[in-house]
Amino acid sequence: MTETGDARDVILLTASGISKRFGSTQALADVSVSFRRGEVHALMGENGAGKSTLGKVIAGLHKQDSGEVSINGSVLRPGSIDDAFAAGIRIVHQELAQCPNLTVAENLCLHNLPRTRWGTVDRAAMAERAARLVHPIEPSIDVEAELGSLSPGHRQICQIAASLDDEAKPGAEAARVVVFDEPTSSLSVSETDRLLEIIRGLARDGLTIVYVSHRMGEIFAVCDRVSVLRDGRFVQTSTVADISEADLVEQMIGRRLETPAGRLRSPGGEAAALRSLATGDQQVSHQIKSDEPSLVVRDIRSPRKLTGVSVSVKPGEVVGIGGLVGSGRSELLDAIFGIDKQATGVVSVGGRVVKTGQPRAMIAARVGYVPEDRRLQGLFFDLGIDENTVMPYMADLAGIGGVRSGSGESALVADRLEAFQIKAASPRAHPGSLSGGNQQKVLIARWMHDRSQVLLLDEPTRGIDVGTKAEIYRLIHAAADRGVAILLVSSEMPELLALSDRVLVMADGRITGELTGDEMTQKNILTLATNELAVTGQ
Amino acid sequence: MSSHGSRTGQQNGSHGLIRRIFSVQESGLVIVIAVMVIALTLLGGTKPKTRIVEIDSAASITVFDEAGEGHVAGTLPDRSISRIEVTVDGQTTIYAGSVGYRASGGVRRVTIQETVNKFLDLDNIVLVLKDASFIAVMAVGMTAVIILAGIDLSVGSIYALAGVLGAMALHELGPGTNGFVAVLAGLGVCGLVGLICGLANGAMVVGLRVHPFVITLGMMAALRGLTIIIPQQVYGEQSIAGFPEGFTRGFFKAEIAGVYPVPVIIMAIVAIGGWFVLSRTVIGRRVFAIGGNETAAGYAGIPVGRVKIIVYTVMGALAGLSACMSIGYYGSAETGAGNAYELRVIAAAVIGGASLMGGRGSALGAVLGAVIIELIGNAMIIFDIDQSWNQVVMGAAIVVAVVVDQAKRRLSAR
Repeated sequence: MTETGDARDVILLTASGISKRFGSTQALADVSVSFRRGEVHALMGENGAGKSTLGKVIAGLHKQDSGEVSINGSVLRPGSIDDAFAAGIRIVHQELAQCPNLTVAENLCLHNLPRTRWGTVDRAAMAERAARLVHPIEPSIDVEAELGSLSPGHRQICQIAASLDDEAKPGAEAARVVVFDEPTSSLSVSETDRLLEIIRGLARDGLTIVYVSHRMGEIFAVCDRVSVLRDGRFVQTSTVADISEADLVEQMIGRRLETPAGRLRSPGGEAAALRSLATGDQQVSHQIKSDEPSLVVRDIRSPRKLTGVSVSVKPGEVVGIGGLVGSGRSELLDAIFGIDKQATGVVSVGGRVVKTGQPRAMIAARVGYVPEDRRLQGLFFDLGIDENTVMPYMADLAGIGGVRSGSGESALVADRLEAFQIKAASPRAHPGSLSGGNQQKVLIARWMHDRSQVLLLDEPTRGIDVGTKAEIYRLIHAAADRGVAILLVSSEMPELLALSDRVLVMADGRITGELTGDEMTQKNILTLATNELAVTGQ
Repeated sequence: MSSHGSRTGQQNGSHGLIRRIFSVQESGLVIVIAVMVIALTLLGGTKPKTRIVEIDSAASITVFDEAGEGHVAGTLPDRSISRIEVTVDGQTTIYAGSVGYRASGGVRRVTIQETVNKFLDLDNIVLVLKDASFIAVMAVGMTAVIILAGIDLSVGSIYALAGVLGAMALHELGPGTNGFVAVLAGLGVCGLVGLICGLANGAMVVGLRVHPFVITLGMMAALRGLTIIIPQQVYGEQSIAGFPEGFTRGFFKAEIAGVYPVPVIIMAIVAIGGWFVLSRTVIGRRVFAIGGNETAAGYAGIPVGRVKIIVYTVMGALAGLSACMSIGYYGSAETGAGNAYELRVIAAAVIGGASLMGGRGSALGAVLGAVIIELIGNAMIIFDIDQSWNQVVMGAAIVVAVVVDQAKRRLSAR
């Protein structure tokens, strides 16, 4: 951990009273945090707490609705990345523009390519300048190599080098603050170690580091102080040396659901509220129809971050999968359903082993999958709601030669639209004309019907309003009551707790624990979810 | 339909019906064609057309003057002739308009000089539709390929290779072959050659995961080479003729009611078939689903690779069919046939509403697009403009069609 000398206690950067709203979501509400010169300051919180938004407001990527960011006493223009840059604030984040087809040197000099006197690109000068930027951080990077051929860790280092380039904009202050937004999410363990070393080095050189992360180990390995956000509100700033992991988890989830059986016993609790919204009573567990599991998944492994996952779900049971973004939850569902062709392992449905790597085989075995991103993975925006609903079954309904059955399809569609109360001008309307909630309902309606025996649901209520959410909860409960086995992934812990009979928690591509009954609390989920592989430096 | 459907139907009523007709993708194309037809008819002018009428002994011929007074053939009226009536076995044929009349060899053989509209003349219309049919048959397949967000640049070369190999088969059968056998052999060889080429395209696009632009560009060059090499090696010639009569005049160039309608009839069958497959069968809808969102298609359990291979294979087979129609009509196959046809076929599909982004397109639109392209070519002839301008106008038409398509997308995205 970095020494905190006297000169380093000076406040350099202040965010005060920051509020930011995205549509109907209040991402930040009156948040104030101050950052000292030369410290590594973590912004922590669970998914959607607002930590990333705050980092982007500081760097000028997002424009706050109210409040101000000031550096050394001078107030920055809200939402101006140029202003922030000129004042010496830099950001390193995943979506930063890079051209993988160009060399490291070209990427670093793209804003101002050095020229020879003939007007051609001066490759020597370019390489020399790139080396000056990159090699102090990582001497082993070849600046003439194509950026895309580098490992994710080295690519990230190039981004850091680019962000520290003071010549990128003329007249800009030298870098004083660097914001890191989830910098380790795509890195291996050793790359993470190297990155944390670099970050410590930058802080030692006097830079202020704003470190946005939800990974407990990294916070304790590299940070001096940590500010916790919860539901867009500031909770507390603590010195890392003085706080325990348990205390941090508590700050992240709040006290209201803290009693062991909190989700059941506190009538005011959010989980209980959601549950009553969905079922009208406080009944917790679904009626398990049989002890013979409908879905058994054994030892699923995949290069896409799965290291041996086993799950089983009984008919009528809802098994929740908790974990942070990037823990391998969606990858697990992709592997089970056969989207991930590289996955290995055994999946059996209703006691019979199903061929892996083939969604069609899964559909034939009556498995349905509502993927995470309805726009990219779910809906066909050039087709009508009717065809979107029946697409996986069109061939089953069709007659000889694949001629579609008009009556069979429209009966199914009418039934689904009715059951799901989908508000559309006509069954042939395109999904683009629907609200997000109704789009999601179309996607769930596609899979949730009498045929389905097993449902894989990934973030089934993502980005939709509370009323529709309650409807979808009701439908999930109804499906479970019919005997459907449901595997549910959700980043919203109250939702996970309200719907699940038990919760499995994932981190780094494996299951780190199972919670049942009274153990099912936000605190326990978060503790297991942040329990990633040990980080050296501790 | 469901209660939803009937409710909306009632709300809209007859007003909705009109709106629906006008909102159909193809209606815009029909309007374009109608405007072109009217413009060409009104502005194209007239040309003289000579018709020879054979009169046998049982026929009578009457010439009418402006006043409508009839004259027995052979005695010409003083005033201009307004119409000529020829009666054979009680059947009267009337030649009206501006008519010239000349009897030769007694009255057994009558040459009638009519002044006809350059465009609106049965022979010209059938000519335009015949030319359109070769393109349209391929454009229906191309539409499916483009809906998949793919492209096939090799259609012109497949067309040429299938035509040449089909012609060699027919040549070997000899002119005396039974018509039915000849037609079957021609269709079989041309169709099979096209099908195999298309299958190769599809298998490579799916198996090698290379963009179809690259695969079919390679095939375009390779197949064209084979088309020149094979007849050169076998016959030492670039042109193959000498087909069975039953294949040409007996079928593909059969004369019915004074015109040659077989290619047009085949075009109509392919258009209706394409429409049916694309909108009413499972594979058709899967094509739209894949082109609109390939990722989501995978999540919906659609066998993406298999559908793609089938579509490229059908495209190839349709190019073979088109080649068969063409050699049957012209009575010969040339190694240089179908040159730059990929441009015309893609243009027809795109003008017909196929979106190069995938997910949208229509078989009927593609056929109408082919008709528009041939109308442009016909206009060049009618207005006596250098044929080279045809290329310029067609190039512009593609760009305009794509720009309009994107504008439509932007509007509907709002």
